[in-house]
Amino acid sequence: MKSLRFTKAKKIAVLFWAILILIPVLLPDSQYEQSLLIVCFLFAIMASGWNILSGLAGYVSLGHSVFLGVGMYTGAILGRETGVFTFYFAPIGMLTAMAFAFLLGSITLRTRSHAFVIITIAILLSVQLIVSNWVELTGGSNGIIFRSPSWARTAGNTPYYYMFLVVLVLTVALVRFIMNARLGAGFISIRDDESKAASIGINTTQYKVIAYCLSAAPYGLVGAIYSQYLGFINPTGSFSILISVYLVLAALVGGKGTLWGPVFGGFFIAFANEASTVFSGGISARVLIMGVVLVFTVMFVPQGLLVSVATMLRKRLAKDKTVEFINQAAIAERDAPLNLNNVKRAPSKAKADSSESILQVKGLYKSFGGVKAVNGVTMDIKRGSITGLIGPNGSGKTTLFNCITGTYGADSGIVIFNGTDITKMQPWTRAHMGMGRTFQITKLFKSMSVLDNLVAPLEKPSARNMLANKMQGEEVERAREILDFMGLSSFEKSNVSALSFGQQKLVEFAQILMLRPDIVMLDEPASGINPTLIERLSKAIKKLNDAGTTFLIVEHNIPLVLGLCDYIHVLSAGEIMVSGTPEEVRNNEAVIEAYLGPDTLLEGLDV
Amino acid sequence: MEIIQVLSYGILLGGLYSLLSSGLALIFGVLDIVNVAQGAFLVSGAFLTWQIWDLTGIEPILLIPVVALLWFGLGIIIYRTLFVRVAPQGPSMTVLLSFGLALIIEGALNLIFGNKFKSVQTSYSLQSYKLGEINFPAPQVIASLAAAVVLVLLYLYLKLSWAGRALRATAQNRDGAALIGISHRKISSFAYGLGMATAGAGGVLISVSYPIYPATHYEWISKLLGIIVLGGMGSIPGAIIGSMLLGIVEAAGNTYAPQWTILFFYGVIILSLLFKPEGLLGARSRKDSV
Amino acid sequence: MNNSYKGLRKTALVAAVTALGLLITGCGIGSSKNSDPLVIGISLPLTGDFAQPGGAAKKGYEVWASLVNEDGGVLGQQVELNILDDASSAEQVVTDYNRLINQDKVPLILGTFSSLLNFPASTVAENNEMVLVAPAGGSPKIFEPMPKYYFFAQQATAPRQAEPFVNYILSLPESERPKTAAYATMDDPFAGPVIANMQALFEAAGIKTVYSKVYPPETTNFQPFASAIAKAKPEIIAQGAVFEDGVNLAKGLIQIGYSPKAMFQTSAPSNGAQYSDAIGLANTEGIFYAVSWSEKAPTPMNAEFVARYQKLFGAGLVPEEDAADAFAAAQVLQAAVEGTGGTDNPALADWLRANEVQTILGPLSWDEIGRPQGDFLLAQWQSGEVNIVAPDVAKTSNNLIFPKPAWTK
Repeated sequence: MKSLRFTKAKKIAVLFWAILILIPVLLPDSQYEQSLLIVCFLFAIMASGWNILSGLAGYVSLGHSVFLGVGMYTGAILGRETGVFTFYFAPIGMLTAMAFAFLLGSITLRTRSHAFVIITIAILLSVQLIVSNWVELTGGSNGIIFRSPSWARTAGNTPYYYMFLVVLVLTVALVRFIMNARLGAGFISIRDDESKAASIGINTTQYKVIAYCLSAAPYGLVGAIYSQYLGFINPTGSFSILISVYLVLAALVGGKGTLWGPVFGGFFIAFANEASTVFSGGISARVLIMGVVLVFTVMFVPQGLLVSVATMLRKRLAKDKTVEFINQAAIAERDAPLNLNNVKRAPSKAKADSSESILQVKGLYKSFGGVKAVNGVTMDIKRGSITGLIGPNGSGKTTLFNCITGTYGADSGIVIFNGTDITKMQPWTRAHMGMGRTFQITKLFKSMSVLDNLVAPLEKPSARNMLANKMQGEEVERAREILDFMGLSSFEKSNVSALSFGQQKLVEFAQILMLRPDIVMLDEPASGINPTLIERLSKAIKKLNDAGTTFLIVEHNIPLVLGLCDYIHVLSAGEIMVSGTPEEVRNNEAVIEAYLGPDTLLEGLDV
Repeated sequence: MEIIQVLSYGILLGGLYSLLSSGLALIFGVLDIVNVAQGAFLVSGAFLTWQIWDLTGIEPILLIPVVALLWFGLGIIIYRTLFVRVAPQGPSMTVLLSFGLALIIEGALNLIFGNKFKSVQTSYSLQSYKLGEINFPAPQVIASLAAAVVLVLLYLYLKLSWAGRALRATAQNRDGAALIGISHRKISSFAYGLGMATAGAGGVLISVSYPIYPATHYEWISKLLGIIVLGGMGSIPGAIIGSMLLGIVEAAGNTYAPQWTILFFYGVIILSLLFKPEGLLGARSRKDSV
Repeated sequence: MNNSYKGLRKTALVAAVTALGLLITGCGIGSSKNSDPLVIGISLPLTGDFAQPGGAAKKGYEVWASLVNEDGGVLGQQVELNILDDASSAEQVVTDYNRLINQDKVPLILGTFSSLLNFPASTVAENNEMVLVAPAGGSPKIFEPMPKYYFFAQQATAPRQAEPFVNYILSLPESERPKTAAYATMDDPFAGPVIANMQALFEAAGIKTVYSKVYPPETTNFQPFASAIAKAKPEIIAQGAVFEDGVNLAKGLIQIGYSPKAMFQTSAPSNGAQYSDAIGLANTEGIFYAVSWSEKAPTPMNAEFVARYQKLFGAGLVPEEDAADAFAAAQVLQAAVEGTGGTDNPALADWLRANEVQTILGPLSWDEIGRPQGDFLLAQWQSGEVNIVAPDVAKTSNNLIFPKPAWTK
């Protein structure tokens, strides 16, 4: 069934390209149509490129046309200096745009969404200004004018038509490649939840810069061609905020985050633009029309026309589907085997001594404004143990976790993991070293299926891995096995948001195991889920611990903690109050007072 | 002497910009929306003022309450019909919505008023007050004074009225405010209306100081964004400080190196967002540690 | 994602077919049947930065069409104007002229407004071997590629626009002649060369430059400029303005009370009542500007032009210079068509290079790359009206106000 669908889709795509390739041949007197299609191609290229950064990786740029301008001017300046037509410099235009994106990305991608949008606009306008004023290089606001090639009169727009079409094909191929590769999955995970992506081993900085560079590449390539086509370029036209908005509109209308959405959207916007010129009878309402389209799209079809139509079709087709019955008990009872190599690293010399500390925290402090969340914590986690971390609400448990995993930077103190000082390391490096953690409120990538979520973590960084197809490889097999172990195989293809809260927790647990972690840190794994699933989880924890995996668990469920853990630390007001075996802690007066308040009788506190 | 003249121009500019940017800061602070349509609201307020002046000859400053009130109502309607739906989708979508709104307003202004510059002539359009050797052009002085009055009123309102307190509460913690009974929808549309009202008042002042033209909203929003980014995006006092600083920078730029003046604004935006994203007066929140 | 694949593919196909359908229909809608009217294709900035002069140019073209059609049309055919909006965007200009020439297959075209937009227009025209007569677009850059089909329909190119003013100042006796000058110009391909050339000529004649600055188009606050200029105490102030900036700088100077001996601005003072209302009628006294046209000029068809303009757009209105330039451009094209008896564009180009055309701007003639060979007019506001004061042949007043009187507040 799947291969049949694929072939059908491929046929349609081939038809689409074939029509475009043949138009100049079949309709020889179509100079106007070709000029219109060139604009379509341009917008489709720009929308698709933008899609890589903003649709897939989720960093919305409103100033992306800066790269078009960079490509246009690169081609123009080189053309002027060498006397050669600008489109020959298309590859150099692409490289310049990518280099510029690399520079910009390294600096700006650390800002969050509002700031990023504003910065991209500011950069576009700044570059426009610099180009206007750097008269010796760029000709300033007078612009640069080009001689036409000798074949311009006879061939007209047709050579440019094919040049633009080639760039469009290349761009679509690039986006398709990215979407099928683990690189694309990485982008999507960054979009869905950047700090989660970092915690499962994705070097978000590197990925974002890559996304930025790849998104700029098509612009640089097409820009150099566009210069010669226009015959004249100037700063205002080449670095236009309005074009930036139109290309975003194109991607939105078609459907950002999809492959064909931006292409369709590009055509749509180009036609809309032309229609508003032709049918307005001398009174231009173009700006008004584009504004209305933008507002309408954002309000009613933000996911794009293609996706909306597809969803409607799917709903109609799905009317006859039966609702699945979820067999909770079966999940709990499933006792599938687990190949431990799938969830553990090969034993190394450092792990021989089981009484050694795998994780050490020394003198950790973290404040938020005046609130001292973590106020000087020192603790040792023994290798191979299941250690509990308990304490009243607000005692700083999650903050401590976050400092250990690198989600927050500690104000002072050090963290040592497997003998290495990791205090200054990025979250993904810690993940690569074998540190996995789950979150108090489950963090999963909402736009992906369960299987895709499982395959997302990166145990080790590797370029080959990035480019590999996300549907294949040993990770997928491993993921399936782990899912089976957890009893979740039937949910493999479901979107994670279709699962219950408890099931999501199990998925997140399974996800972490993909990292082959030496230590698994669980933040309130039992909260909010039914006893059956808690049971499942406990069994999994015990099985893995028997094989040598260390666990550090934050929990409020006292029976679970007392039953599971070999050692417990009690945190109160940011400091470790008591540490000891479950027995010791249970009977400690200070602990009881911290939880229940002073002057409380102990009767009935039997666990 | 020249420096004092530059400073004087700068402060007059800053005074005007303070009012114009306060609305932007308010909307961002309470609603988390970067309202790029603010420039268009300004310019349309200016056009309305011009139209009324053209028909009646009335002194434009007197129209401040009228335009502000009208824009307030319009703001509430716009928020309720457009933004309410889009706000949950996040900052990038609301920015796009706002941009679309700006385009619609620009297009409408083009169609209604055509493509000629409009300017309002008052008795003081060509006057200038002199203090020793320093010039204070009358339109700018009057606009700045009016701006200051409106800002003080706004400040008092925010500080003393229940609605003002509710706004500040929502800006600090939206969910908390909802929990204590502040209707999120009501306060949001109120905030947007208030932000747009300041744009209306600002528009009146612009009509008195400059010739107006639909496409100028881009220039205004670039400047205002620079100002609130510098001052701290949700902070009104920050907007005032940012306005003063950038007003002086603009006056200095126009005196010594006009081609680079606007680059200062963009540079400020970029550098601020990179190195001190909370601005001069904004606070770093837990959310920032992502 | 996989489930919607099928739907997506289907939708993509539908989209592609629809798009193609639109295209083919577009062909159908656009193609003109060769019927009676003589269609002239025109692109103009009806919106965007140049909307003001663009709108004026449209009126000029329309007045021409109205007069010509009343008179039997051109070569017996009624003319029809096909005007598209290019929104002041260079890219749109290219699309517009492509459409007009290749889709609508117009036999003739006329130019758009401003040098910036006529650059790309001339490229399209050259590639299609169509004559482009431009009502504006005198920037020297346009002529660099040695165009064969481009004709600028004013008396001279941009750098030479200020020559009448320069000549007047330099003709003054030594004792009266100003010794210092201040220059402020917008970074604009047209205004820039005008002032730059003036500055070069004045400096060569020994007039000292005490202030010279270029400002970006989005500049709104001109008081700092006014202060700085006043501080330098120049006797001549020359500004390369477009409109708003001209008004703003003048207002700034009025506010601080600095009035030079002679003041020259490009473009802004040519906007009639808009200009005088903005700065005060009394303050216009003595301001110079270079102009291509005056409504009082005794050139052929001028009176009819003014009369028809007022009939179509409002009694008592003085046509804008841009409207007059558009009218003249159309006159040039008409002369070439009537002179060659047809619409063979290469023949039109040859004819224009060999002949002089009488227009409401006076006689126009061109060199081999389309540069006009005439002289601009020097205009001055006098007693609330505009008069031509130089060259002698075009004078509408023997009066010449110098030095400029002080401002009235």
